[in-house]
Order: sequence, then structure tokens, then C-alpha cells
Amino acid sequence: MNRHVSRREALAGIGLGALSAGCLGRTRNIAGRNRPSQLTLQIDTAPADRDPNAIRIARHLAENLNAVGVDARINTLSRTDLWRKVLINQGFDVYVGQFLESEPFDPDAMYAFTHSRFVAEAGRQNPFGFTDINGVDDQLERQRRVEGRERRDAVAELQRSLCELQPFTVVAFPDPLSAVREDRFEGWTNRQPLSPGALLRLDRAETTDGTADDGDAGTAENATAEEETADEETADGDAVLRLVTTDDQITENWNPIAAEYRRDGTFTSLLYDQLALVDRGEVIPWLASGWERVDEETVVVDLRDARWHDGEPVTAGDVAFTYEFLRDTSMGSLDTEVPTPRFRGRSSVVRSATVVGDGRVELAIDDVNDAVAVRALQVPILPEHVWSERTDVATIAGFEFDVETTEAVVSNNGDPVGSGPIRFAEATAEESVVFDRNPDHFLARADSTRDEADPAAGVPERFRGKPAFERLRIEVSPSDIAAVAAVGDGLADATVSNLGPDAVPRIGRDADTRLVTGLSGGFYHVGYNARRAPLSNPRFRAVIASLIDKETLIDEAFDGYARPAASPLAASSEWVPTDLSWDDRETDPVYPFVGESGSIDTDEAKELFRDAGYRFDEGGRLLSRGE
Amino acid sequence: MTWLASVLGSLALWVGGGILVAAAVIIGPSRIRGLRDDVASRLSDARREFAALCAVLLASAVGRSSLQTVSELFGLRLTGLIYAVEGDFVEWIQQTYATPELTMYFSSVYVYGYAFLLSFPFLAYIALPRTKTLRRLLVAYALNYAIGLALYTVVFAHGPRNLDVGTSLLFTYNPEFTALTSEVNEAANVFPSLHTSLSVTVAAFAVMTRDEYPLWTPVAVWISTSVVIATMYLGIHWLTDVIGGIALALGSVYLSCRIVGEEEEADGEISGDTAAVDA
Repeated sequence: MNRHVSRREALAGIGLGALSAGCLGRTRNIAGRNRPSQLTLQIDTAPADRDPNAIRIARHLAENLNAVGVDARINTLSRTDLWRKVLINQGFDVYVGQFLESEPFDPDAMYAFTHSRFVAEAGRQNPFGFTDINGVDDQLERQRRVEGRERRDAVAELQRSLCELQPFTVVAFPDPLSAVREDRFEGWTNRQPLSPGALLRLDRAETTDGTADDGDAGTAENATAEEETADEETADGDAVLRLVTTDDQITENWNPIAAEYRRDGTFTSLLYDQLALVDRGEVIPWLASGWERVDEETVVVDLRDARWHDGEPVTAGDVAFTYEFLRDTSMGSLDTEVPTPRFRGRSSVVRSATVVGDGRVELAIDDVNDAVAVRALQVPILPEHVWSERTDVATIAGFEFDVETTEAVVSNNGDPVGSGPIRFAEATAEESVVFDRNPDHFLARADSTRDEADPAAGVPERFRGKPAFERLRIEVSPSDIAAVAAVGDGLADATVSNLGPDAVPRIGRDADTRLVTGLSGGFYHVGYNARRAPLSNPRFRAVIASLIDKETLIDEAFDGYARPAASPLAASSEWVPTDLSWDDRETDPVYPFVGESGSIDTDEAKELFRDAGYRFDEGGRLLSRGE
Repeated sequence: MTWLASVLGSLALWVGGGILVAAAVIIGPSRIRGLRDDVASRLSDARREFAALCAVLLASAVGRSSLQTVSELFGLRLTGLIYAVEGDFVEWIQQTYATPELTMYFSSVYVYGYAFLLSFPFLAYIALPRTKTLRRLLVAYALNYAIGLALYTVVFAHGPRNLDVGTSLLFTYNPEFTALTSEVNEAANVFPSLHTSLSVTVAAFAVMTRDEYPLWTPVAVWISTSVVIATMYLGIHWLTDVIGGIALALGSVYLSCRIVGEEEEADGEISGDTAAVDA
């Protein structure tokens, strides 16, 4: 191969050559070609304070990429900036992050994540710019239509396609660890301890001197006297559920459809009721008292008697508005539709929604199976009188920045008006947020009566009269270790953000503190921007996937608190075909790690790149003709 | 938060105690006595410099969060570059030298030693009959903060612990300190290290005033060296940040000496600004 010459030498040479030979045409033919240079990849991820696991995956990948001659750089961004860059602006090379679902999910969650119809949209839908028209797209649509065994087969095929084409590389499903103390609230279980359902299910702990009841009943004289001295510590102190997180987004933004601000959206789903709630795998009629699939393409939904936090009644019109709004947040006022950046897959099932009576809505849906139809009922219902004001193009000081951005998707939604079991009380940005129990909610009203007019008919016993707390207070902690220490010191009842391997051992140190966990759907993955060469090439992505040693990462990045996986559906093992399940394997079934127990075999890895058509210079650098 | 109160309480106790002891031993009774009559005129002498420092601190307190937003949106993202340049140096320090005792020592120095190091010189230099050193110190502090704030805005970078290069020993052993550090620091502001630059500034002044306070010089140099090492040992700063901090410190000290010039020593009435213009 040619020796590399500096740009100046090259220009001088070209000048001389062109003059002496007088052969401009040939010079143009040579100089007009871009010279290949070393491939540079930037790996975006959140800093360790915010996500102690992701940074370890990113470093592992960067190290192995550097070893095979790619110039890989890690770029740390705050969580909001990371997701804005990846989901909205789509200007990334590679990112490391979690799938933004806290619980194991239906295979249809992959519809929004990988269907090519969403490539041009900003939001959670297809951030990779991935297109596989005849394979993945077909399989995604098929698994929506068919049922039973046929759906199982379609989902298996879908997973095989995704594993082969690697729009993203699944690394591991983390154990959703949480440090909890049980002296004030009990009922923490090892089944999704932090899901909306689990937080609502909690019970007040029995206290020996019986002060726990004072919070609700407390004599009037007492209450007024104590309110002046200390607000939460004494009077209703026992009724405050205190959570601690490293994630400050909930202290400044309460917009349920803001893709870059929501993780799994636990708290916004407590603020905004959905028509149906899934808890412990059970579908529970929530804001809807019930629904009926009258034919393949129609679902009729009946609403409960409910009010928004501002006192307005929740109407069928609000539900119809919500589905229209999620399809186009501009409500037709702009030339192009601006679809919602969250819940896109779910809401795309509903073609239109019509009010057909008092508290009754008819949803026209695609011909989908029941599992997917129920998913369509799991979107936050929004008050029309608030959100219809937010359909205009977003402006800064009167200037429009982007015709494809509405006020609705960028609003912080201060003082949110929902209909859920908690309502917003107050917040200090980056420090804390407080929610109050909503006494008008159907759960709260359902404690005693069980007659004809049961406000919470169809809701299981475990939710009746809940939540057990009067207030929900979320404090921001500077790191996972500090969060665990806060629970240990009795300053908080539970941690609600990721804990890294350094934080977990601390949980055992305090007798009152306990570790709970569950099953997470939020798999860690490496996402590739398939709009950019060479990441657009599935062969190239496959070689990168085989640079990741998942087994070793489980030990080193997660301290064993995670499960390696090949398929994005590994948390719902009933969907995973045996050829993709991990079980007792030591390495990935599709793209096994090149190397052994953490150390990469660079020669073999380079051979894989060469087989895929890539070349190296004499310094061992991987060459690319990209821009 | 209860943590913050308890850390602040013990901080006030330790630093206050340290200053009392140092005042007795280093400044000496005669200068303290002289201070009683003269303190008002000396303070009024240095009022401009005090005002300048207060203005910078106020601007930093008010504007920091908006400048942080600017930094997030438009700042140079240098984390990857810094890591590519210096690699695992910080991790190497930790792996080679870390012991529980050293961690205890450096954690304390990072919080208590640093607070003492920054506050004691105020008293020490007010106790000097001439206010030149006091005014230079104030100007140097102001420059450190002002230039530091500007660099924080331009550079967006996370520290080693956020890249999992080494561990955050400060957080691991003393999580309650985080209540204080998270109040004062932004995780994405690591370049340059203000802990380093202010410590080195104090040390530089201690060296310049070794004739007045011969005891203070070795104490200040010891503590400031410890603080500088602590920033890396604890996994908070990169070596690059420390080098940047030292450069910022030396630059600020040099500028402060230019601004509060030598000539006025003959006549204490000439203000720093005119002296600088004359020079």
C-alpha cells in the first residue's frame, strides 16, 4: 500500500505533477478521490453517576474497538441530552443505553422500536434508522395480526431477523435492584418492586405505638398546632413515602410524551391514568370500567366516573382527543403530522376514536390480535382542555425553530393535570418533587363501599383504598452509593434508580435495609445509527456485536446482577426460541465473542472485518471512506 | 437534608477551630492586637477587591445554572479526548497507592483542609499592616472563579469516576460529603480543577509572604499539595484538570500582581487600577 503523505506534501506534489506533466485530467482522477482514513466512532452514554452500568459497557466496547484499529471515543452526556441526541436529533454513531421499559413486555414493543415506517420520525420509534422491508417489517406486522402458535412462530422469526441484522446489540437484562426499608411501608416484593402497580400496592407498616394512624385521623387541635412547627416530620410524617433517585428529570419535567425526559415513566403513569393497567401480568380495567371487542376492527370502551386534578370531569371526548393527539400532536394544524415521541407503537393501532355516548368511546383499530389491542389501551389519557392549547409550533421568544416540533412535545408540563392516583404538589428543580394522594381517585374512593355504584369495580382487592401514602416525595441523590446510604440512614424508604456494583454491597450493612429485585424489561444494548456508513452495513454491525463479551460484562459491569441475552425478548422467555435462548451458554448463540474470558483475539476480530470487506492500513488501523 | 446540615456543622467546627489555632500560632498575638485598631481602615482599603470578589461569586451563584445549560447545549465535549490523552492515570494512582487510611486522609483534606486553606489567608493577610497582599489575594480568587466559570461554560467534561476510571473514593467512604459537594459542584464541570487552582493560588501567596509568615509557608504548601493529589486520588479530577488548574492558578497570581501593582507600596492611597494602568 502507499505510504501516507501529509496533506501539504500531497498538495505540493499534485501542483508539481500537474504542471510538469500537464496532465490535469489524470490529476483530477487521483486527487478527486477521497483518501480512506481511520474509522472514528463516538460512543455516547450517560456518566457513571447517572448510570453506573452503561459506562462500563461503553468502556468495554471502546477498548475492544481500539484494539482492532477503530478510533473509538466515549462521550458522556446527561441522560436528557443523551436521549435528545439519540431519539430526537438522531446525530449519534453508537450509544449505550437501556430499553425504556421497566417490566417484561409484549413482543409488539419491537414494532415501534424497529419498524421502518418510523425512520423519519423523532422519538422512541426506530432511533436506529433501521430498515428491513421484507423481513423485520413483515414479521412485525404479522405478529400483530395472528394469534397463538402462529404468533409464536412470527415472533421467533422476528427475533432471528433482529439477532442476525443487529440494529442494536442486546447486552444484558439487569436485575432492577432497589434498597428498601420496611419500618414505614411494607409490601416490597421481588416482583417488579418499583412498577406503578407495586408502589400503589404498598401498605403502611404497623408501628408499635400506633402513631401511624394519626396521619389520617389526627385530632384537629393537634394538627393545627403541629402544622406550624414541622410539616412532614411530625403530623403526617408516617404517611410520606420517601423515594430517592439519581435521576433528576422528574423534578423538572412532567410531560408524559416527552421522549428524552422519561425513562420507564413510572411517575407520569401514576399522574395520568391509562384505560387499562397491567400488573403482575393481569390486565386490570383502570380508567375504563370495561371494554368490548365488538368486531375485528372495533373496541367499545366505557369510562369510570373520574375527574381531572383540576376538578373538570374526565369525558369520552378526552379519550377520543388523546388518540387523535398522539397520532398528530398538531391536531392537523400543521402541514406535516407531528406524531407523539412516546407510545407511538401502541397508539398506531388505533385508527380513529369516536364518542358514541356519555362516557363511551368507540376505537377503530387495525385487525390486530387481543394482546396488541390491549396494548393500545395503555396510553396516558390526557385532558383535552389542557393539551389542545399546545398544538402550535413550538417557539422561542416568538420564533419558530422547527416546523416539526409542537409545543406539546417540548412542554415541561408544569403543574400537570392528570386523573391518576397521585397529583402534583411542588417541586424544586434538580432537588426534589412532591406528589399528594388524590382523594377523588376511584382507588381512594373504593375503600369501604362495595355496592352497585362501586367506583372501582373490577379492580383487585390489593389496590382498593390505595395508595397507602398521603404524600410521595422523591429526592435527587448525587450518586447511587449516596442513594443507598440515604435509605440506610433512614432518610428515605427506597431507591428508585439503577444501582451499580459498588452500591449493592452497602445495602446489607444496615439491618433495616433490604435488597429487592424483580425482572426487568429494560435491557442494556448498544444502538447503532444505521443512517451512517459503515454502521449501515449489517455485516459490520455483526462484527461489532462479536467484540462484546457479554458473560464477562455480567461479572464486571453488573457484579452478576444481570442476565446476558441475545434476544430483546429474553425477559419473556416463553417467546424466545431455543436457538436464541442463552440458558447455559457461555457466549452469544448468533455472534459469539471473538476471544476468551474478557480478552479479545485481535487477529481473529480483524479477520472478521476483512471477511466483511473492510481493510486495514499497515499501522493496523481500520480504514473507512466515510465523510 | 440532614446530611448537609451535619456536614456543614462539622465543617464550621473544624475550620473555625483550625483558624483559631493557626491565628495564635502563625499570625501571633502582637499582629492580632494590631488588627483590633486597624481592621476597619484595612477593610475599607480593600473594598474594591472585596466588591470584585463578591460580584464574581454572586454572578457565579446566579448564572451558574444557565451557563451550565449553555455548556450542555454548545460546550466542547472533551471527556473522550481527555481520556484518550491521559488514559487510566487516575486509576493507576488509586490502584497503586489507595489504602483506607490514605482515603480517610485525602477525603478530610479535600473537604476540611481545603476550606481551611481558603479561609485562613483572609485573616492572615488582614493582619498585615499593608493591605497589598490581601488585595492581591482577593483579586486572585476573583480571577480564579471568573476564568474557571468561563472555562466551565466552554468545556463540557465529566470526571474520571463518571467514566468508571478508578472509583469515587470520596463517595464510597463518605457518602455524606456528597451532600455538600453536590451543592457546590456540577458533575460536568471538571476542567479545570478549581480545588487545584485555588489551593495552588494560596500556596503561591504563602511562598511570596514567607518573610511575614515563615510558619504558614510549609503548612500551606503541604495542604495544597495534598488537595491537588486528593482531587485525583479520590477519582474526581483528571490529571489534565489538575494541570489546567495549576496553570489557571499561576496565571491568576501573576495577573493579580500586575493589577495590584508594586509601585503603590510607596503610597497606599493609589488604587490598584490606576497602578496597573501606569505600569
